[in-house]
Amino acid sequence: MAIDELLGGFADALTPLNLLFALLGVLLGTAVGVLPGIGPAMTVALLLPATYVLEPTSALIMFAGIYYGGMYGGSTTSILLNTPGESSSIMTALEGNKMAKAGRGSAALATAAIGSFVAGTIATVLLALVAPTVVELAIGVTSADYFALAVIAFVAVATVLGSSPLRGLAALCLGLYLGLVGTDVLTGQERFTLGIPQLSDGIDVVVVAVALFAVGEALHVASRLRRGAVQVIDHQGSWMTRQDFRRSWAPWLRGTAFGFPFGALPAGGAEIPTFLSYATERKLTKHPEEFGKGAIEGVAGPEAANNAAAAGVLVPLLTLGIPTSATAAIILAAFQGYGIQPGPTLLTTEGPLVWALIASLLIGNAMLLVLNLPLVGLWVKLLRIPRPYLYAGILAFASLGSFAVNADPLDLVLLLLLGLLGFVMRRYGWPVAPAVIGLILGPIAETNLRRALAISNGDLGVLVDTWFSRVVLVLAALALVGPIVLRAVRGPRPSPAELQHADAAADEDDTVRSADR
Amino acid sequence: MAVVVVGMVPNPRGQAALQHGLREARQRAARLVVVNTSRGDALVDEEFLQGDALRRLHEELAASGVPFEVRQPVHGRDVAEELAAVVTETAAELLVIGVRRRTPVGKLLMGSAAQRILLEVDCPILAVKSAPPSS
Amino acid sequence: MSTSTTPPGAQQRGHTGEAVLAALLAALGVYLLVDAGAIAVPGSSNTVGPRFFPYAVGGLTVLTGAALALRVLRGDRGPAEDSEDIDPDAPTDWRAVGVIAVAFLAHALLINVIGWPLAVALMFAAVAWALGAVGIVRPFLIGLLLGCVVWTVFVKALNVALPGGTVLEWMTSWI
Repeated sequence: MAIDELLGGFADALTPLNLLFALLGVLLGTAVGVLPGIGPAMTVALLLPATYVLEPTSALIMFAGIYYGGMYGGSTTSILLNTPGESSSIMTALEGNKMAKAGRGSAALATAAIGSFVAGTIATVLLALVAPTVVELAIGVTSADYFALAVIAFVAVATVLGSSPLRGLAALCLGLYLGLVGTDVLTGQERFTLGIPQLSDGIDVVVVAVALFAVGEALHVASRLRRGAVQVIDHQGSWMTRQDFRRSWAPWLRGTAFGFPFGALPAGGAEIPTFLSYATERKLTKHPEEFGKGAIEGVAGPEAANNAAAAGVLVPLLTLGIPTSATAAIILAAFQGYGIQPGPTLLTTEGPLVWALIASLLIGNAMLLVLNLPLVGLWVKLLRIPRPYLYAGILAFASLGSFAVNADPLDLVLLLLLGLLGFVMRRYGWPVAPAVIGLILGPIAETNLRRALAISNGDLGVLVDTWFSRVVLVLAALALVGPIVLRAVRGPRPSPAELQHADAAADEDDTVRSADR
Repeated sequence: MAVVVVGMVPNPRGQAALQHGLREARQRAARLVVVNTSRGDALVDEEFLQGDALRRLHEELAASGVPFEVRQPVHGRDVAEELAAVVTETAAELLVIGVRRRTPVGKLLMGSAAQRILLEVDCPILAVKSAPPSS
Repeated sequence: MSTSTTPPGAQQRGHTGEAVLAALLAALGVYLLVDAGAIAVPGSSNTVGPRFFPYAVGGLTVLTGAALALRVLRGDRGPAEDSEDIDPDAPTDWRAVGVIAVAFLAHALLINVIGWPLAVALMFAAVAWALGAVGIVRPFLIGLLLGCVVWTVFVKALNVALPGGTVLEWMTSWI
């Protein structure tokens, strides 16, 4: 039974040491979520070397804390500074910042934090309930099915989530190429190593992830250095009133309902559900006049959707071994670092580890709720670190993590080269996440493809032999072609600002109409 | 018209400097140039006036009846360099700054903005610790 | 003040750079296709050997690179540069990028000579200077402090292999 095993997980997660790592993770995660230019993906990448010294449970509990903490930190800066760090917190910034400017900052932070807690808790419990079922279904999954799943993850990450499908594909290609470098696992042949002996083991995931996220970001910031400070809006003001609660609870639940399934689908992500949640709350609200001026529903819904999607992403990761976000891909790399391959067998072979991880997600979520509101002042102080020291420090930790892999300076040269690649990608708006997912998922896709073809003696028909793979591949094809068709029919996707302005226009229509009556 | 420059930070010693600056400007029938600067190297700088605080400063100055101007240069330069630049440009006859008490150890670690200003700026400087009694 | 609004300057920027990048991607695809042919295939392996997937990736890369290069030359622009902490209207500061790249390369080569803490302190100072910090002594001291603390924690408490340099290793040999 899932409940018994979850209780066992709590027993593992509640040891003082693991509680300490959970606390460390959520504090670190919130801090980096708040700091400009650093996200959970970069932090987990910088901390991957911890897997060499920590035992798996402690390390993964810490990473889970960073993952959830990053979401909380991101909502804080979205509300108080109007600087959404990730596309999934743009919608929170729209209404949240307006609320803060109207002197309702505390209420906005509270509804975001409580909404995140509610959504994170419900979604994590759903994860615990759904995971064993998905595993049962996935046990019969063939290599060809796996390949199909990997393909749909590639397509989703590259084309659906970003704003430019072709650039997403380009980044994916770079990642797949980097994943090819090294010795072929099945035959022992060297591929694309350019005769450099250090490359025969392949390019380490740590080096690629740290280079693309940390070094690339530091160089990008250096190239267009911002001068001048952003205005922090005071988070004083009244806390949530009874009316705020009445207006928030339904958006929290609806946001969760949007976020979890989208996160759990191999083609999910957190951006679309936050958009949907915002649009829904705007339609359902009894206070349409407040939208665009700081409506609490517009903070509560998207923030819940964001966190529920983050928990949902763990479903394909833990049950199928398919990462659908950059952070999930790096957590997968952490599993691989321990010689553990997430997949349908993970729950049986590493049951205690997975349940301890899920239990610690619930614990971390509670910690975040308790810690986040009182510590807002402290988080805002972090933003006073001068940029020169912040980015110099990031590079120092990047050096530490990458050098610790093999103690080989060549890795650092490679780090710099890939960092320059990350810089150029950022400069031209190529997303970085598909490259990391291509690097990590590429070899898994290749192994399954070759296994499937070996069984069928090279007959490509095996790839569409089961209903499962047929459906998945058709969905992948739709996801690849769909956005292009949609774009041709309806023009480019509206930006969040346009969405908000559309709201304002609609609101005006409503007021005009009610005035007529 | 003569010019008095004030280095302004949103705290008690900045307020003290502003009060002294207003008094000096009135006595000399001078124009008051209030300088509030930020190096702009962090995402958040609480010493940089924005929003409500900036509006209150404008209201306070307007109420005083002294002709004034508020400048907020952000060029990634030290406060001493910014003040020196404004003093040179306006040919100011007086610069007013607020100074804080600092232990020798604190001064050793953090350096002293006041000291750098004294060395850098080419006009008489009035350094104050608290507001004039009359105001 | 907000980063979420699309800056007017970002749209008008030239497209040569991205066209070159896309062309390089296509060239990478060609390299993959050519070099995949050189991968030795062991006689015992059955139909699908180590060449198949590289061919597929190479083909996809060539197609993507070429399509993207065409789109860019026809005037398609990527999404505006997106980061929490950049000024999209600022002119590109190639000097800062260059200084950081050189400082990082130098520190990589110096680690095994003067130890990680000192090499990182020098890199830290150079990077902070390139990003506009005041002075060079304070950044260096901060970097040195960071380097020594991190080195002590990771080497003495977590047993990570990291050269500390003669002085620091001697000073901490009692731990």
